[in-house]
Amino acid sequence: MSRKGVSFRAKEINSDVAQIRDLSISIGAIHEERWDERMGPTPFPSLSTLRSWDHLLLNRYKPFYLPFCDLCCLCTYGKCDLTGTKRGACGITMPAQQSRMVLIAACIGAATHTSHARHLLTHVIEEFGRDCLINVGGTSVEVEAPISRLVCGVKPETLGDLEPVLDYCENQITQLLAVTHTGQEGSNLDFESKVFHAGMVDHVGMEVADIAQISALGFPKADPVSSMADLGLGTVDTTKPVILVIGHNVPPATSIIDYLRTNGILSEVEVTGICCTALDVTRYSDRAKIVGPISWQLRYIRSGVPDVVVIDEQCVRTDTILEAAKIKAPLIATNDKNCLGLPDRTNDPIDEIVSDFVSGIVPGALILDSHKVGEIAVRVALGIAPKRKKQGNLPAKEQIIAFAKKCTQCMLCRRACPNDLPVPQAIKPAAGGNLAPLNELYDDCIGCGRCESACTQKIPVHSLIVGAAEKQTREETFCLRTGRGPIQDVEIRKVGGPLVLGEIPGVVAFVGCANFPKGSREVAEMCMEFANRRYIVCTSGCAAMSAGMYKDEDGKTAYEKYSGAFEAGGIVNVGSCVSNAHISGAAIKIASIFAKRPLRGNYEEIADYVYNRVGAVGVAWGAMSQKAASIAAGFWRLGIPVVVGPHGTKYRRMLLGRADKDEDWMVYDARSGEKVYGGPVPEHLFFAAETKEEAMVMIAKLTMRPNDTSKGRANKLANYIDLHKRHIGGIPPDVHQLVRVVADIPLTMKTEILEHLHAHDWKESPIPDPTLLSRMVHTRRDER
Amino acid sequence: MFESIPVEVGLVHEGERVRKQDMQVELGGPSVLEKFEIVRVRKMDEIIDGTIEITGPDISEMPEGKATPIGILVEIAGEKVEPDLEGVVERRIHEYSNYIEGFMHLNQRYDIWIRLSKKSYKKGLNSLRYIGLVMLDLFKNELPIIEKIQITFITDPREIQPLYAEALKTYEARDARARGLSDDDVSEFYGCALCQSFAPTHVCVITPQRYANCGAISWFDGRAAAGIDPKGPIYAIPKGECLDAEKGEYAGVNESAKQRSMGEVNRVWLYTAFGYPHTSCGCFEGIAFYIPEVDGFGIVLRSYRDLTVNGLAFSTMADSTAGGRQIDGFHGISLEYMRSKKFLDADGGYRRVVWMPKESKERLAEFIPADVVPAIATESDVHNIDELKNFLAEKHHPVTERWAADAAAAEDAAPQVQVFSAGDIPITTPGFRIILKNAKITAEKVIIQPIRPHTKPGGEHN
Repeated sequence: MSRKGVSFRAKEINSDVAQIRDLSISIGAIHEERWDERMGPTPFPSLSTLRSWDHLLLNRYKPFYLPFCDLCCLCTYGKCDLTGTKRGACGITMPAQQSRMVLIAACIGAATHTSHARHLLTHVIEEFGRDCLINVGGTSVEVEAPISRLVCGVKPETLGDLEPVLDYCENQITQLLAVTHTGQEGSNLDFESKVFHAGMVDHVGMEVADIAQISALGFPKADPVSSMADLGLGTVDTTKPVILVIGHNVPPATSIIDYLRTNGILSEVEVTGICCTALDVTRYSDRAKIVGPISWQLRYIRSGVPDVVVIDEQCVRTDTILEAAKIKAPLIATNDKNCLGLPDRTNDPIDEIVSDFVSGIVPGALILDSHKVGEIAVRVALGIAPKRKKQGNLPAKEQIIAFAKKCTQCMLCRRACPNDLPVPQAIKPAAGGNLAPLNELYDDCIGCGRCESACTQKIPVHSLIVGAAEKQTREETFCLRTGRGPIQDVEIRKVGGPLVLGEIPGVVAFVGCANFPKGSREVAEMCMEFANRRYIVCTSGCAAMSAGMYKDEDGKTAYEKYSGAFEAGGIVNVGSCVSNAHISGAAIKIASIFAKRPLRGNYEEIADYVYNRVGAVGVAWGAMSQKAASIAAGFWRLGIPVVVGPHGTKYRRMLLGRADKDEDWMVYDARSGEKVYGGPVPEHLFFAAETKEEAMVMIAKLTMRPNDTSKGRANKLANYIDLHKRHIGGIPPDVHQLVRVVADIPLTMKTEILEHLHAHDWKESPIPDPTLLSRMVHTRRDER
Repeated sequence: MFESIPVEVGLVHEGERVRKQDMQVELGGPSVLEKFEIVRVRKMDEIIDGTIEITGPDISEMPEGKATPIGILVEIAGEKVEPDLEGVVERRIHEYSNYIEGFMHLNQRYDIWIRLSKKSYKKGLNSLRYIGLVMLDLFKNELPIIEKIQITFITDPREIQPLYAEALKTYEARDARARGLSDDDVSEFYGCALCQSFAPTHVCVITPQRYANCGAISWFDGRAAAGIDPKGPIYAIPKGECLDAEKGEYAGVNESAKQRSMGEVNRVWLYTAFGYPHTSCGCFEGIAFYIPEVDGFGIVLRSYRDLTVNGLAFSTMADSTAGGRQIDGFHGISLEYMRSKKFLDADGGYRRVVWMPKESKERLAEFIPADVVPAIATESDVHNIDELKNFLAEKHHPVTERWAADAAAAEDAAPQVQVFSAGDIPITTPGFRIILKNAKITAEKVIIQPIRPHTKPGGEHN
């Protein structure tokens, strides 16, 4: 709030502060400053503001390119072959082109979250007003919007305060996208710096989206014991009318819940969801159920269980309208980003639309009013369920056998499969009545349906797999702790002691989808492995579902077995994709909470702090989308490494450090100003692992930071070495680079490590107070 | 290491739990009345180094699935090993034995509860000797000041009985010594720089009567750690000359703080929240916060989630407290320090405490002077400063005696207060600040009354 030309007179003022008589004051301008923290150097940074920080990181972690495509096809001079040292018609090189494509992907990701945030914010402001207060954790959260504070230098208090933050994001994404025009940027590293910028902006957008929905829709507020929700195909009560919501933007789904509540029929209709809308609707009502991540879209629709399909935006299969039509379930599109060619019925009378759907006259419609969607979806589900009788199109055993007999073993399905699953080998025995091998594919299948498109015999291959696993799908009865939102400031304070005393080795965040074969199971296994090892484990988005889709020998899921608090051995589900901002936010809050570093517009200093001190690692085991690219980039700019599964190489380049080059790992010791060797930690910024085992060893290694106390480093090393011994074999060859002083050696491994150190001519090196920024070198008070 | 042990030994097994149906045997635990573990310091010639003895039946002779009494006696000797370290060394039994795969150790002293899993038993972990071997190895490796060590496991109930009684006496004597030990009794304090990895200018000073802020390190822990690794993050601070006994200022502490904080902190007053208070990093267990309106302190622990009496929550005040800075009137503290006689001693100790959450007050009641207990308000008594004022007056809280004196002093000081100066004029009210730039104000009369009286040191001797 700013005002100009204010004057006022007062005859008499009495207050606790002062007693004033006949006072007249005129003031040129009033600028309301509700935040007394001094503005830092880089509020609302532009494309190049943080370039030098990016280049510091990129010089350590040089892009290692894995071209997904050798050509550039973006302008009419092309296609240009960029292999070897060739340049394109515009002069571009292969590295620059690869990084350019990454920037385009990151812009798509950032734009997706930001436009989602804008849609959501506009919606909740319409509903609750600009003055609706932000509340993400009551008295337990002092730093309510760490990323917005850090990047923009603002401290939002109301929903309206979030609008200028989104203005900034939209402005930056437009500029970033402009960079990718032909002949606009030539250096691969500058493209990468802009990728980082897109990632940072993406985290701002995500933070706005989740703050808005937590505050306005009453989601759990930094609650470590948020309620449990059902998860899995087998939890759906198929005797009731069933609504399926798919996507990432929750208002239509909450309107469905509202309509059911208002009419007292919440228990009569099943609200089920896929992807982040499912996660977010369980934060609104724990009666809603989560079916699974994107891989479940085809199989769930084909099961015939949903009576109405409501889609919003992002990660919605574009053939959903065709699939829904096959089971005679009407489809409602609700977002102008995803109209699917459907007629716009937003302004038609509700009764008319309901009647058209129930009678089957129209297969789908676009309705851009979430309140209307709430009522229509419920009334259509109630009306159509008795007629549809859960008609699905999954084949029964005899049909599977009949289809299997048509197979010519041409192998095209296997070639089409992103995971190279042995589909023909499983279909062959099915022709003879043995469905077990097909059933075995179920867990590994990511449900993309490419096998069906490839099949020359028109065999519905995916349906065969799901049909063969019919019994297994009914047993998918899991649960998940609903998304809790931010980490409490108090929780961060509590883990400070255990972190420096070496009782918590680090923070591992499992984010994004889990599409790698056995993705879900492996994410769940890794979560439990690290929780057992007393790491703090965070989950979000589809990985949060995956973490819950597996039971231990006692029949318990990870969320039942481990605490939901941000503590040693906790498994903390922060929420949907946009809740990822709370994970980076927690890392940022550490700097504010322990070192009282000012956050306001102070990105570089805080990133330097997080990079050198906060032992956090992100894992996107089956990342699929462009959103994952921008989410990861936001972590990189903060200096947080990310590990991906093997498909992650399709993000076109890794950011790998060279542990063999001592000169790459020099840091300033902030105490003395000297440049000293800080060790190759964290060794990589972006790393693709081939297997779960390799990933776990790498995760343990990447939690190390140059500031680790000896107790902390000993604990990290103990886990790294133990995992390496179990999964790769023997003591890791680089232990001598990671032990700085004898006290770093894990005490149960002392003898063997001392032998290793001796064999590698190891010398003690001091533990620095590390920084990459010369300006952060400590100056004595009297010299300032 | 551990080649002779039939199961794995490593950090990864530390958090393992052994459930009832998976256990081969239980040692101690809730169903056994007499059980203990104890470390005793002996003379060098009283110990045969490396001996492991088992008195009574060994694991393989115990009935499956049943609980058996247990006593664990660890005897150590060494030139630098002193009886004060017994407690510190004893706690390592828990840590070390838990590294053993399938061996669960809970609690300490007379409360121990151990389970061995069937799986590890089947792998060959069928004797307490293996447990002893692991402990021997780890104790000697980790604590090189231990020159000789012998371990006895007692499982024969008749043998346990007398040793149990003796152990109880030892614990009691040890506790009495810890409670009675004052800062004056020792020549060395300890400093801890562990938190500097996150808060580079924070320096923790640990004395017998002032626990580390995190509540995790006592003077005894400090002594042990500094003795074992003098170059490590926990180091000895020679007290040096006592410059101010009341505030707790020592030349040695000042010197050490100056060095370790690189000149950020040059003086430390250990027993006060004003002037040069001890710094706070971020993981303190509670905050003592000054309430100027009543000239007293509120105390809030991390676990308290409501607003305190001054309208601020723990998180908000913690934000003003943390970061390795010396902040007047916002003081990060450990629970253990609240139990100390030196707790804010220079400011008046509990005689200056006016508000605490109910639960904390009950928890600490025995450490608060009996006559002050009823005069300290909680959230069930008052909700704001006005109510607090009334409550304190009504209960004749010791701070009310200061009010009259402060009011007089404030009046004296009033003429020296600069009313308006040129340039910026900040007007501060709780929660926000208005700055008037180049504002012209004419007022016939301005009366300014201080709302925050000048703070004067408290203590019984003032």
